[in-house]
Amino acid sequence: MKFLPYLLKHLRRNWFRTGLTVLAMAVCIFLFCTLQSVLAEIGALLDSTSAKRLVTRNSVSIVFDVPIAYGARIQSVPGVERVAMTNWFGGSLPAKKEGKADEGDSSSTTDWSNFFPNMAVELEPFFAMYPEFQMPPDQYQALLQDQRGSAIGRKLANKFGWKIGDTFYLESFIPPHRKADGPFEFVVRAIFDTDPVKYPGTDTNLMLFSRKYLYEATGRRLQAGTYYVEIRDPGKAGEVSAAIDALFENSDAQTRTETEKAFAASFVAMAGNLALLLNGIGVAVTFTILLVIANTMSIAVRERRTEIAVLKTLGFTSRQVMGLVVAESVLIGVMGGALGIGAAQGMMWLLSHTPGIQDALAGIGLSELNLRPLVAGLGFANSVFLGFVAGFVPALGAYRARITDMLRTV
Amino acid sequence: MSMVDVRDVRKVYRRDAEELVVLNGLSLEVEEGDFAALMGPSGSGKSTLLNLIAGIDRPTSGEVVVAGTNVARLDETGLAEFRSHNVGFIFQFYNLIPVLTATENVELPLLLTHLSKAERRERAATALKVVGLADRAGHYPRQLSGGQEQRVAIARAIVTDPKVLVADEPTGDLDAKSAFEILDLMQTLNRDFKKTIVMVTHDPRAAERAHTQHHLEKGVLRD
Repeated sequence: MKFLPYLLKHLRRNWFRTGLTVLAMAVCIFLFCTLQSVLAEIGALLDSTSAKRLVTRNSVSIVFDVPIAYGARIQSVPGVERVAMTNWFGGSLPAKKEGKADEGDSSSTTDWSNFFPNMAVELEPFFAMYPEFQMPPDQYQALLQDQRGSAIGRKLANKFGWKIGDTFYLESFIPPHRKADGPFEFVVRAIFDTDPVKYPGTDTNLMLFSRKYLYEATGRRLQAGTYYVEIRDPGKAGEVSAAIDALFENSDAQTRTETEKAFAASFVAMAGNLALLLNGIGVAVTFTILLVIANTMSIAVRERRTEIAVLKTLGFTSRQVMGLVVAESVLIGVMGGALGIGAAQGMMWLLSHTPGIQDALAGIGLSELNLRPLVAGLGFANSVFLGFVAGFVPALGAYRARITDMLRTV
Repeated sequence: MSMVDVRDVRKVYRRDAEELVVLNGLSLEVEEGDFAALMGPSGSGKSTLLNLIAGIDRPTSGEVVVAGTNVARLDETGLAEFRSHNVGFIFQFYNLIPVLTATENVELPLLLTHLSKAERRERAATALKVVGLADRAGHYPRQLSGGQEQRVAIARAIVTDPKVLVADEPTGDLDAKSAFEILDLMQTLNRDFKKTIVMVTHDPRAAERAHTQHHLEKGVLRD
């Protein structure tokens, strides 16, 4: 510690260069933390899926529906336990929480910044195949009995302060899911929780309501968005999926059935192979920063050859001199790392609170981005490691250099 | 009793296949409390000899015994420890660390000791007082004149209370007045603080201040 003031004085010697190097390191750690946080959230999303659940959708694209009649036929496939028809509703709260359809133009009063995942589902089979979502039996019964009833995840309920019996309105951005007379009215009938130990990664930032309500309110023309299929034996997922798709092979609306995990992964992967892309960017940036800092440290050591010779003359051992150079480099890494982690934390918050971006993330199941302690820790360790590696080679030069040679080059 | 005892020392530098003999069987004794001047033309080997005495280089053969330690037998770490305890080095170009104040520069060798910060500061202040720069303690090297910088460098050299001071042309970069003051200071250190001093110089006026003068030529002592 007694050498710290000495190191800090050296870093202040050329504050502009030090500042730029710290900034470069900060950018590197910022990118590392941000990208790894996104990947961690995606990983958690995929881990929360069940191997017992399949998803059947239109083989062309998720945006195309599949006929209602398919439900009964899928149910008849051997190995299928139950089937639940679902539609992504795409609803957002109107600007006025208690707003009515007749209070002006409803589309202009919708506050799209309050977007959250909401789905119309066949309640009984859906909740039967999702033991992750737990709610009191009386609330569940109340939900089944009220067509306008909705089940709200705990996180979502906390976000809007909703409690049982509250009324709210939603307006969908999907034209077939809109009513001529204004937003849909919903009543909070159930609030569901999850067991984070038993079902890690399960997100309760979700609203579910009866598909029957959506179907009837939109003129009974609505097809099915996807079918969630529970199977008896997860080991036969491939077999059952193939059997389901074979049923509709010669129809207008062919299907694609896959495990829930593959479905979620394909949803995320609509933006390309994200993991590969993000990791590739991370590695490239890290390597570039390593070169930048190593170059900076080399220049710094070359500029101070005489000082290194003086230190050795005063009695500093080669190892101590090497330690000072490495410590200086690690100090740059630590400062850059701390700055980068702080910036990443800020970015996570910004992404999770910016309308539009928040919606896009929620759309792929990432309701909230957090800088996990593990990612922050890895980012910090990365900055220390980069600082160490970048300083090691110039430090080795300082270690090996002979006093007489360094003094001669004055 | 001799403080510096150089016996039959050879120093040979190799450049590719070529051998350059800088010191050729040189022997020299400097008594404890002596003030010795090494003189000679450029390339005569006086700085090389000074480096050997200071323990920043090792002879190719022969023995260099300083303060009872044969530096030729020490490894790198041993040499560093030897220098920190026994030798104070004064450079021609002062070689102060520009980002450190006078006090911090003087305190630098004390970082290798177990002294507390307060003790280090106290010793640095004392050393600066000895060289007459107590009022410049907080100044950076760029805020000092050449003579003052060299005095700070001398304070740095004496702060660990070494047995031997080695000076490589300490007045070579100074004007006459400053050179005179530095030589006065060195004489004081020799006379009042009993420091053994070995000084390389080209300047006959500087050499006159020394008790003994040794002339080198082509790697051997002429007298």
